[in-house]
Amino acid sequence: MLHWKTGKVALLAAVVLAGCSAAPIVAATRALAQNTVKLELWSRQDPSGPLRAGNVVKAAERLNKELAAEGSAKRVQVVVRESPAPGFDDDALQLLKVFGIGQGPDTFIAAHEWICAFQADGFVLKLDDYIARYPQHFSTIFPSLWESAKCPDGTYGVPQDAEARMFFYDKKLLRRAGYDDAFIAAMPKRTLSGDLTMDELIDIAKQVVDKTKVQYGILHRPNKGPDYIMVFQSYGNGFVDPKTGHLLLERDKLAAAFGWFARGVKEGVIPANNTAMEFDALRKQFYTGNAVFWMYGIWDLGTYAFPTYGLPSDEAAFFADWGWIAAPGPKKGGAPGSLTHPIIYAVAARAADPELAVRLLGHASAADLNTDHAVTTTHLGIKPEQLEDPRYAKVWPLARATELLKITRFLPNNPQFGDLNGIVFRALQGVETGRLSAKDAADFVIDEATASLKDVIVK
Amino acid sequence: MAATNELMIERGGQAGSAARRRANFAIFLGPAIVLTVLFFVIPVLIDIAVSFTDLSRSLRVTKFTTEQYAKIFQGDRRLPQVIGLTFVYVFGTLAIFNVTFGLILALTTTSINKVAGGFFRGVWLLPRMSPSVLYILLWLWAINPSELGLLNQILMQVLGLGKPLDLMTEAPIALIIISNGFIGASMGMIIFTAAIRGIPEHLFHAAAVDGAGVLAQIRFITLPALRWPISFVTIYQTLSLLVSFEYILLLTKGGPFYDTTVYALYVYRRAFESGQYGYGAALALFLIVIGVAVALLGWRFFDMERLLQRPRIEVH
Repeated sequence: MLHWKTGKVALLAAVVLAGCSAAPIVAATRALAQNTVKLELWSRQDPSGPLRAGNVVKAAERLNKELAAEGSAKRVQVVVRESPAPGFDDDALQLLKVFGIGQGPDTFIAAHEWICAFQADGFVLKLDDYIARYPQHFSTIFPSLWESAKCPDGTYGVPQDAEARMFFYDKKLLRRAGYDDAFIAAMPKRTLSGDLTMDELIDIAKQVVDKTKVQYGILHRPNKGPDYIMVFQSYGNGFVDPKTGHLLLERDKLAAAFGWFARGVKEGVIPANNTAMEFDALRKQFYTGNAVFWMYGIWDLGTYAFPTYGLPSDEAAFFADWGWIAAPGPKKGGAPGSLTHPIIYAVAARAADPELAVRLLGHASAADLNTDHAVTTTHLGIKPEQLEDPRYAKVWPLARATELLKITRFLPNNPQFGDLNGIVFRALQGVETGRLSAKDAADFVIDEATASLKDVIVK
Repeated sequence: MAATNELMIERGGQAGSAARRRANFAIFLGPAIVLTVLFFVIPVLIDIAVSFTDLSRSLRVTKFTTEQYAKIFQGDRRLPQVIGLTFVYVFGTLAIFNVTFGLILALTTTSINKVAGGFFRGVWLLPRMSPSVLYILLWLWAINPSELGLLNQILMQVLGLGKPLDLMTEAPIALIIISNGFIGASMGMIIFTAAIRGIPEHLFHAAAVDGAGVLAQIRFITLPALRWPISFVTIYQTLSLLVSFEYILLLTKGGPFYDTTVYALYVYRRAFESGQYGYGAALALFLIVIGVAVALLGWRFFDMERLLQRPRIEVH
């Protein structure tokens, strides 16, 4: 009996001792596991902005230092999940599906016009309180950019960058077609003053095509995207009713914009197969002197024009042979425009630790990190302090493109705009390939939109 | 009577026990039934269920509704064009390539030297053996609308054409028929070749002795022997063309505009490009119905039942 008791006590003691010696290890392991918050970031593989995700990874180091200084046991680990989607629209549709089945990242990067689609389905965190709580991160972001991250009931994203879209042009070809230097130099100012019109743009392109051996007058992106919307905005299409926030389609204004593309094709300036061409092929036609105008965005200079096509990266040398204008107004005295298409950071509604996720994105929005992104990809910064950074000042396209921000417009932040843009692009393809007249294209957009989208106002 | 008994023994098995019959049924038909239920019946049931919901881009169902069907019958103005194009595409590909050209390939490659015939059949099988993306990449290069495209190089440098040809914009329907037809023809070619090789050779010799030329031999010996293979290829390829769209998606993306959006691609675009899954499911249901109807019609039209009947005379 005694033996049994002794044995039992010994066994118990051994268990307790073993438990005591293992306890710190178990506790430490548990503590380590509890303190590391894994935050997944969803980001599209995008050569025009690799630091959008890269800056979030770097921000984790800063946040962890800050947490250590606060004495917090928490640490953040960022896991980047890259999506192979070919564009931001496809990426957003994919992410909506992922969220729809109850999965998805803690934070994500999206084109701003999709944010209300996420908000409508309750997939994204409302940020107003957090933004107010962390002024050190968010207070100096340009107020105009915040507009791009807002839905009717609040702010749901943090602007990550901005840019300007324009019509680039090749001055060498204009000279060869007989335009003198004074005319060419005056084009940007004439556009801003409303003197140069959309129709004159076609006339200029036509003269170059007719008088030189250049094949193309005006080229634009071949797929669904924001740039051509600039033309629609020039003709007064806002796409959203300011009173109700619903999609708004105005038949005459749509027909006028489609009419511009139709005229471009008819005059032999816009190729009928523009939408069937490859992006790289289009770019190459312009940068190698076979097209006069290229409707695209400022980041194309840093991403492709300088490194790939050897355009001079020196400001004076660039403007000697190349230039850009805003989208002209529809008629003399009309308002010119540019389009900026901010990309935003957002936090998922079901993020593991929303507070830390917001702080992480706050650090990723630091002026120096954002400048890294801006100067390497010629995207515009988000804070005024970036303008004082010598690196930023050195990249002259940024400063020059900032001039266009005075007349810039956004795509509407309506949850259905992405779908509407798909319909507009399809109609544009119909117009350019001769399948639809401008009026038919306007009717097509209205028919398709009213049949497949909700709350569409037609005028 | 004896023959009937023999047949019953053959069908029922020597033992003839119910248990054995059930076991045979499970062993021989079980896997096929399981696969059919898993990959046809259940997806059709899911499709029907989804078509009565408002499932959209975030994969959420908020209500059960018949509005997808209302949209098909009332609101979708693209459908008549899409259905018309699908008819042109299926009929064109089938008539020109999958049957006629397949037959021509089989006739020519069986009438020449055996090695050469085998070689040419091998060449025509290459598109089918190539990954679809690679095959379409070659097409994109061949029909590139600039002077760099293979076709345009030939047309401009050899034949002296002044301006490059843009088939993608000018003749997109012909383009999808030809690109699909080059692949489809190879299946007919193989089946017809096997059938031609099965025709007893002495029939051709006898016909030749009777003075029949090559065309007469084809008309009176070869073609009658190919009746069943032609019927089979026609029905099979019709169904295949109705539901397949990957080459069109890769080559033209259904454009320009809706010019090459066949019905199956239209379903895909509605469901996966626009995120209208409920509507896509309703459209897909009609595709299933059309497929079954076409199969039954073909079965009746070509009298396929006779093909599957037991031969009345067994030659031992």
